[in-house]
Amino acid sequence: MTTDDMLLEVRGLKKHFPIRSGFLRRVTGTVKAVDGIDFHIKKGETLGLVGESGCGKSTAGRALLRLHEPTAGEIIFNDPTLGKVDVAKLDRATMLKLRPNMQIIFQDPFTSLNPRLTVGQIVGEPLEIQHRASGSELTDRVAELLNEVGIRPENMSRYPHAFSGGQRQRIGIARALALNPKLIVCDEPVSALDVSIQAQVLNLLGELQAKYGLAYLFVGHDLSVIEHISDRVAVMYVGYIVEMAKTDKLYFTPKHPYTEALLNAIPKADPRMRTRPIRLQGEVPSPANPPSGCYFHPRCRYAKDICSHERPPLQDIGDEHFVACHFAKELSLVGVQPLNDIKLEMPAKKS
Amino acid sequence: MTSQPTTPITTTADDVVRVENLKVNFYTQLGVVRALNGVSFNIPRGKVLGIVGESGCGKSITGMSIMQLVTSVGKTEGGKILFNESAGGNPINILDYERNSPEMRKIRGNNISMIFQEPMSSLNPCYTISNQIEEAIRLHQTNDKVESRNRAIEVLTKVGMPNPDRIADSFPHELSGGMRQRAMIAMALSCTPTLLIADEPTTALDVTTEASILDLMRELQSEIGTSIMFITHNMGVVAQMCDEVAVMYLGRVVERASVDDIFYEPRHPYTIALLQSIPRLGRTKGRLASIEGSVPDPYSRVNGCPFHPRCPVAIKGVCDTILPEETIVDAAKGHTVRCHLYS
Repeated sequence: MTTDDMLLEVRGLKKHFPIRSGFLRRVTGTVKAVDGIDFHIKKGETLGLVGESGCGKSTAGRALLRLHEPTAGEIIFNDPTLGKVDVAKLDRATMLKLRPNMQIIFQDPFTSLNPRLTVGQIVGEPLEIQHRASGSELTDRVAELLNEVGIRPENMSRYPHAFSGGQRQRIGIARALALNPKLIVCDEPVSALDVSIQAQVLNLLGELQAKYGLAYLFVGHDLSVIEHISDRVAVMYVGYIVEMAKTDKLYFTPKHPYTEALLNAIPKADPRMRTRPIRLQGEVPSPANPPSGCYFHPRCRYAKDICSHERPPLQDIGDEHFVACHFAKELSLVGVQPLNDIKLEMPAKKS
Repeated sequence: MTSQPTTPITTTADDVVRVENLKVNFYTQLGVVRALNGVSFNIPRGKVLGIVGESGCGKSITGMSIMQLVTSVGKTEGGKILFNESAGGNPINILDYERNSPEMRKIRGNNISMIFQEPMSSLNPCYTISNQIEEAIRLHQTNDKVESRNRAIEVLTKVGMPNPDRIADSFPHELSGGMRQRAMIAMALSCTPTLLIADEPTTALDVTTEASILDLMRELQSEIGTSIMFITHNMGVVAQMCDEVAVMYLGRVVERASVDDIFYEPRHPYTIALLQSIPRLGRTKGRLASIEGSVPDPYSRVNGCPFHPRCPVAIKGVCDTILPEETIVDAAKGHTVRCHLYS
């Protein structure tokens, strides 16, 4: 074990998908889903990754685990046994040794569990593949894991269809936990769930993090949820990180115009705080055909000449606040206002 | 026989729609799903009523019932849907008409129109946008081809489409999600309906697009004065969009109040729990208060108050046996709640 508290360092990660067309399926273009992003995650920390659909946030999360083979870049993972390794360059055998430490929870609990396997088989599969347990030991470990996520172990022999969405997501979490990982990529784990169930799953993720010192890369689009769960937040736009900072900093003092617009658009759950949205011109550009310069400039209300031909790099403006904007220091942007502190109490119990 | 309340219809307030004790059951091979178990609410003229609840609470079915769009496995087994076209007019009971009757077809799309959640699957991929908008206009308003085309362009302009002429001749797949939803809104507003039913119109959209669609709907609402029934599960959207709110749980309205009261003085334990379980911007850290358990299986029947198995303050021997009646907690503000704690 090293004392280094850095768990993951990503440098210049790229994932390009070829566009093929015509009879010979020739490559006629590329979709630059992730086009050179840098970030790091410390041990036991949650990094939130937000952005609108098509910005590459899920692709980035999957590329970390090589579920998508990265096109370029380094993914330095601090493995407890292997030491610091570049995940992007590992061969199959070493990758297999590393996999227990990096796991993923998927968005859709209805399609990410094999309908032909029982819950016990689903949760036990990683243990078998890694030869961690077999026989009654395996059953015991699976029972323990199910207990941990709040599913009764008696249900081990049932199939996924017998469970509700929230319960299935818990099974997915148990599967990710099976090998005691250090990092879990949470790919929108609560977006498919109802509000009351969403709170249960978020609480569970928080408890498990405190108990096992897990680090999360939490990919999501709901900015209220991201604010709640993350220590730091990175905002993506068309394949790039445009801003990354500690959660409070990013929400209260954003430095990128896109972050400002995004925060402004959150539907605030308070009827006394109605806001008129900042109208963004046009639509999110396609990553196959992005605009010149800063990708946000055609929609940005602060854009100047330089923005249309020079792409701003992601720069540190102090205290771990990274921004990719030419005018990050000049602009004074508006963040979110905390909602009114409404005291909500259950009525007293009558007998 | 079911005991029907025999109170006469009092139309003191000017309501566009008054739903009374609506019951809808679905007869499926697996059993009967009681989707609506006596839903009652009203939509005041020119207001936005939000219908909130988790999946399976019957909020979409309520909207579908008003349009008489519930599929044939669903049977409306009681209740009234009184629709009042203009202030002071005579309300008609929509359920008196057959689903396919000429009277119903005259109302549907003309006086009451609907926007659906998924803009891709609710637009016909084989016809251009203007074709689909003109269909409603020609059916209800005018036979003239040129005029209907002009009107289609006019509504497209109104919903903030850049380049409405070009959009009119494009097919749904050529447009982005936000644009498709704008086209849906244009279609729904083409005949200036008295009531617009919006069934989760922004759920499939990104936050910035959602914000601009909500802004557009509010703007059009104040301009045209259409009453809106806004179905959603997002409390944030409710707070931003609605004037009044009806909270539904398992096929019943459990609380009905102004939007301010719902957020600042909620009474029903379910409403309170729902509000406690959403992360509040800049406020909540640590644990969220969550509701224990999950919504019961739709085929099962819960005795007493439908929320009692999950309710932290349920009264033993009362809540699990007797269904609470709708109780007025603040008559002046029209705040009602279905809970034994207040009766």
